Amino acid sequence: MEQTSPVPVAAIESAPTLQKPKRVMGRFNRWDTPWLNTKLLSGLGILSAILLIGLIGPLIWDTSLALTRAAPRNLPPVGFTNWRGQEGVWEHPLGTDNNGRDMLAVLIVGAPNTFLIGFIAASVGIVIGTILGFCAGFIGGVVDDFIRLIADIVITIPVLMVLIVLQSAFKQIDIQTMALLIAAFAWPRATRQIRAQVLSMRESGYVRMAKLSGASTFDIMFKEMMPNLIPYLFASFIAGATGAILAAVGLETLGLGPQRIPTLGSTIYNAIRGTALSLNMWWWWGLPSLLLATMFIGLLLVNLGLDEISNPRLRQASKS
Amino acid sequence: MRRRALLLSLALAFLALQMSPVLSQEVAREDTVIFDFDRTVADPTNFNPFTPAGTTNRGSGAHQAMWEPLFILNYTTGQIDPWLGLSFEPNETQDVWTLKLRDGVKWSDGEAFNADDVVFTINMLLNDSTRTLANAADMQRHVKSVSKTDDLTVVFELNGPNPRFQVDYFSVRIVNSLLIMPEHVWAGQDPLTFTFYDTERGWPIGTGPYTLTSSETNRFVWDRNDAWWGAATGFMDLPEPLRLIWLSITNEETRVQLISNNEIDAANSVSLAAFEAIKARNPSVITWQDELPYAWADPCPRQLDINTTVKPWDNANMRRALSLLIDRSEIVDIAYEGTTSASVSMFVQYGSMQPFIDAVVEAGYAVPATADVAAGQALIEAEGWKLNNDGLYEKDGEVLSVEILVNNASTEYTRTIDVVVEQLRAAGIEAVARPVDNSTYWGSAAPSGDYEVAYGWLSCASVNEPWASMNRYTAQFITPIGQNAPGNNNTGRWNTEATAAYSEIVAQIGALPLGDPRVPDLVAEAYSYIHAETPFIPLVQASKLLVFNTTYWTGWPTAENSYNHPAFWWNSAHQIIHNLTRAK
Repeated sequence: MEQTSPVPVAAIESAPTLQKPKRVMGRFNRWDTPWLNTKLLSGLGILSAILLIGLIGPLIWDTSLALTRAAPRNLPPVGFTNWRGQEGVWEHPLGTDNNGRDMLAVLIVGAPNTFLIGFIAASVGIVIGTILGFCAGFIGGVVDDFIRLIADIVITIPVLMVLIVLQSAFKQIDIQTMALLIAAFAWPRATRQIRAQVLSMRESGYVRMAKLSGASTFDIMFKEMMPNLIPYLFASFIAGATGAILAAVGLETLGLGPQRIPTLGSTIYNAIRGTALSLNMWWWWGLPSLLLATMFIGLLLVNLGLDEISNPRLRQASKS
Repeated sequence: MRRRALLLSLALAFLALQMSPVLSQEVAREDTVIFDFDRTVADPTNFNPFTPAGTTNRGSGAHQAMWEPLFILNYTTGQIDPWLGLSFEPNETQDVWTLKLRDGVKWSDGEAFNADDVVFTINMLLNDSTRTLANAADMQRHVKSVSKTDDLTVVFELNGPNPRFQVDYFSVRIVNSLLIMPEHVWAGQDPLTFTFYDTERGWPIGTGPYTLTSSETNRFVWDRNDAWWGAATGFMDLPEPLRLIWLSITNEETRVQLISNNEIDAANSVSLAAFEAIKARNPSVITWQDELPYAWADPCPRQLDINTTVKPWDNANMRRALSLLIDRSEIVDIAYEGTTSASVSMFVQYGSMQPFIDAVVEAGYAVPATADVAAGQALIEAEGWKLNNDGLYEKDGEVLSVEILVNNASTEYTRTIDVVVEQLRAAGIEAVARPVDNSTYWGSAAPSGDYEVAYGWLSCASVNEPWASMNRYTAQFITPIGQNAPGNNNTGRWNTEATAAYSEIVAQIGALPLGDPRVPDLVAEAYSYIHAETPFIPLVQASKLLVFNTTYWTGWPTAENSYNHPAFWWNSAHQIIHNLTRAK
């Protein structure tokens, strides 16, 4: 017995036993949290890098160069020449546009502005969406019908078209107004998604338990259910921000954005109107486009990362 | 299989049937001239040039190829070239004008064009009680009656002396001229609703050497009518192009691509950089001048109009301050890349206008090319404004701000205002641009006075005499804010004692014959009120960097070959089309 038992046990259990203790240990490993997945981290890294351009940029670069007539016109980035044979200079390392705006300053000013629009619009959207989604999903009945009806109506409105009309009706558009306009159409999707989550959660054991123990509706909604929805809300927020930035860039590229202070979209709009493609002024449209693309990749990675947190199946799939 | 083959052959036969008319009308590219048309037409089946919808349709080739003018003002010689009309002479008191028509002119349907058509058209405008038909208000203001003496002679009796009657309305002074319509088609029609379009009856018709083949919102095709009266009478040879196309192109990038690839022959104004890009790819393109500034200055100098009813711009000193803060040479350098020059007065800087510009300059009323920020700021500070910590003027807790209305149809306009905004900001005024689309600008914002400051060319009118531009700011046009100012005149509602005094002098100028030696002094006297009250701020001369392609066609107007100006969207473009010759 003494001779036989360890051998088969080891032989039989070798594979599982090697993993089991790890997994058990993992629960106590503070670094093995779903919040630290590669996608989320690299996404956040990209976004912070872009944000840093906006935060640190103004400290080391003169952002007033982002305004018309601040610099010589049509200069290429350092190391390149433009169609007139002018070479790039270090005073304007990323070149300038046809109205004498320094591209580096434009990016430093434009990137955080674009972010800001996404952030404001998504925040407003998610707050309204959460409140309405919870009310609809948890309270149900007439409240649910009413909220769902309004959300369904708003969701069918072609947003870009309405925004174009609204934008042209406003005499002056600043970045905050633009964000709020976009937010006005960002809440219904969040409302519907959160309502769906709340509906399924409403029937779960801990909510029933809370109900039985006499917790108030408000407490159940925001103290019991909300924490479980956090990753989901985050993902919703990021999706909202992506949509808002996309809408903002779309409007700006149509020339309906803020006028004087550059945003990435309005820079692309100016480049299109200024025949940048025919003039091979790639730095004028290319740099803001690249920054936008990077920003969207960052947002996508964050979204995928958050998805993994709220959906354990995805986590397992990505590990295997 | 057999059924499929049958279906296929049926489909092919159907396609062939559909294609055949198109193929039969094919015209070789080298026989076709393709013009750039900088807008789309909402209703391409309206060829009534007197209704607002129809007026937008004129430049689609209708008044360049089909409808001929009576006379054409030649910008190079300053003379009026005869076309359908032979002469148009006033009596001594300038209140009876006699029009002699050319003999042998025919409509494209074969009917004769004669005095009856002229009398019919003018009476139609005189009888328009709505005064909404194009030119109706003008004709009703000036013409008492019109009658024919014989088939080729028409006599206009005016309400008072008007030495400019011919040049203002019948000579394509700027863009349009009054078009004569065929009585045999228009009689009995309601001119307010008639569309003058019916392919079965061959409408629209004109006297020009081309007739309409097809019209779409973005493409108008005109084919040569070999029976044109001009060739038959020996007036002129048939123009060489067999087909003319007007193609809508609404952005510069497309314009650059198409003319670089020889897909169009005449392009609307582009920026200097875009012209350089075109030239690099297509060496056969030319422009008005072959070196800087390349461009032709159209007769509409750019300026800022100020709404004189809005605080604080109701104060003349504040308006003068604005003018002093603007650096015109910087606008030329940045927004125009050197393709124009700074304005010194409200007038277009053509040779024929020089005596009047000189009078203004000698009297000390010229606007300088560079800014005098210190003087401008001194005027603002004298009104009690003080610079705050943000570098902006403030009074009673209110920041001095100004909103500049700008039509966003062209980068020329928006780039100019970008520069002006920064200049004013640097001087302490919180300036912002308010871009609006073309229809909002002309349809409501500008004429109704819904602006603080508007960028545009609202003094545009004079070409060879000063009255036309000056008259636009006279007291007769003052309209309450919110109502459209008639003819977009005095949209800033300049309405002070100075306006009255100014209007009186301008009326005196208006009664003097063209070329009267007293005019320059009167201009200077009237201009003293404009200088003192600054109802508008002249900025720069206009700049049209039009690009012509010599790959298929030569004979385009240039400064060296200036049989007339190069504005190919004007009613005068008949001259351009007649001058074109095939390059190969």
